[in-house]
Amino acid sequence: MAISLTKGGNVSLSKEAPGITKMTIGLGWDVRATDGGGFDLDASVFLLGANGKVRTSSDFIFYNNLRSSDGSVEHTGDNTTGAGEGDDESVKVDLTRVPADVQKIVVAVTIHDAEARRQNFGGVSNAFVRVINADGNKEVARYDLSEDASIETAMVFGELYRNNNEWKFRAIGQGFAGGLGPLARSFGVEV
Amino acid sequence: MQMVRGQKTPLSNLTPSTTVEVGVRLPTSAGVTIDVSCFGLDAEGKLSDERYFIFYNQRVSPCGGVTSQGAKGGDQEVFGVDLSRLPPTIKRLVFTAAIDGAGSMSDLQPGALRVLADGREVASFSLKGGDFGNEKAIMIADLYFKDVWRFAANGQGFNGGLGALLAHFGGQEAKGPAAPPTPTHAVPVPPPQKVNLGKVTLEKRGSRQVVDLKKGGAGSGQIHVNLNWDAPPQKPGLFGGLFNTTPEKPDLDLGCMYQMADGTRGVIQPLGGNFGSRHAPPYILLDKDDRSGASSDGENLYITRPDLIDRVMIFALIYEGAASFATVNGRMTIRRPEGEIEIRMDAPDPSQTFCSVCLIERKGDQLSFTKEEHYFLGHEYADKHYGFGFRWKAGQK
Repeated sequence: MAISLTKGGNVSLSKEAPGITKMTIGLGWDVRATDGGGFDLDASVFLLGANGKVRTSSDFIFYNNLRSSDGSVEHTGDNTTGAGEGDDESVKVDLTRVPADVQKIVVAVTIHDAEARRQNFGGVSNAFVRVINADGNKEVARYDLSEDASIETAMVFGELYRNNNEWKFRAIGQGFAGGLGPLARSFGVEV
Repeated sequence: MQMVRGQKTPLSNLTPSTTVEVGVRLPTSAGVTIDVSCFGLDAEGKLSDERYFIFYNQRVSPCGGVTSQGAKGGDQEVFGVDLSRLPPTIKRLVFTAAIDGAGSMSDLQPGALRVLADGREVASFSLKGGDFGNEKAIMIADLYFKDVWRFAANGQGFNGGLGALLAHFGGQEAKGPAAPPTPTHAVPVPPPQKVNLGKVTLEKRGSRQVVDLKKGGAGSGQIHVNLNWDAPPQKPGLFGGLFNTTPEKPDLDLGCMYQMADGTRGVIQPLGGNFGSRHAPPYILLDKDDRSGASSDGENLYITRPDLIDRVMIFALIYEGAASFATVNGRMTIRRPEGEIEIRMDAPDPSQTFCSVCLIERKGDQLSFTKEEHYFLGHEYADKHYGFGFRWKAGQK
């Protein structure tokens, strides 16, 4: 039974899924039901050092850089509509390949062209992030953003982080002003 | 609290009370009528009990928890809401606005939805035309229950108007004794049918026929559009027999606004002599403008490369003469290799001189033909509705 997290909640992956090494972080949202420009949401991942910043720009995994140089994180590609059931975008993580100086893997979602399209997460229905153990494809933890999604155009959904020699996952649900560029800059990426 | 589109907040942040008023003020340009309603939805977001569609003709919900109070204090419609009286099955109240007739939400003047507690405004959500495109019906804001009662500024909607809104809520029109007398044109668009061959009449506004372009190879199968009409019957007048007058046959024009897949767009019509071409872009030809009334086959337009279009809105225009769509029995026949589609202009608005009759849209290999029959004061208004985005200046034939 997957753990359902609320904003700020965390779960120990090694307790919930002993032996977990490879996982998929799935992100989903509903396609726009009303007329008007569709929502194109983009997932991105930041590998952060102890200082909360990327070590190099290649630690910023997004639609134009789908794979980290060490192969620990792989973005499976851009979905521009949110159509279809299940995860709309997903990120594969191999914990055994995460470099020792990476403390945190942050997963964020931004609304493409949000300002021009005058969109925000309040208009996006049923956004969620979930962690799936690649061994057995079992959902370990899930966070439905629901009421935590409002006027933000960029949002940190969750993060994997090291805590005393184990990996934990935390539901963040924290909005961020601006789009992907400012978000990346806040994590130390030069864009 | 000033709310913006997409913003949500627990109601308790606005007021400790569970009794509020929701006032809506949405001024529009002249001639556009907006109906404001409230839908009480179940946990699935559906209108499972149609008695919870509160509007001008059904002013009180069975529980008394929602009442339509009409215009009040500068608002064109005020709803009284007592959340404590709602049955547990009602989880969401959606306040909506729908345009009856021509126009779209882009015509809105600055307006607002307000939440009042004890007569004091506790939240306001401003709306204006620039927030919208071609939406004809919008969900303005929601009061909804998720652990606690909450308020959300929504501001999204549907180009298809009240019918599309009803379909979104899973409701049906004209069902049961309490059924709302919603405008007859607000019919949810039925799922596209893949019926071919033979003659099909698109009876209602919004009804649609879909054909497959691949059938005879790409590009094959031109579309022939014919507009025909009658002279209005002569009124038996006192001098009718004496002077042997023949009423002038009214002059209807056929034309279209088009957008090709490559983004080029334009207007084909006799006005200005834009007859198009059969063999060069846009591959749309208007073959003649018979103002004499001598032609028995009306006016004809050919789309020779339907595989190159994005959408074509075919319109009819009345200029002078007997001069009202109400008297001429206008009808359009669309001929394709697969068969004929007939559209009758059977709900004419005598005060308007422009009628969008059929919308042809291409999606991949599929062409859909939708009966529109929306009446407008002129090209510019129709363009605004369909969003082609032309620049208009006055012209004369």
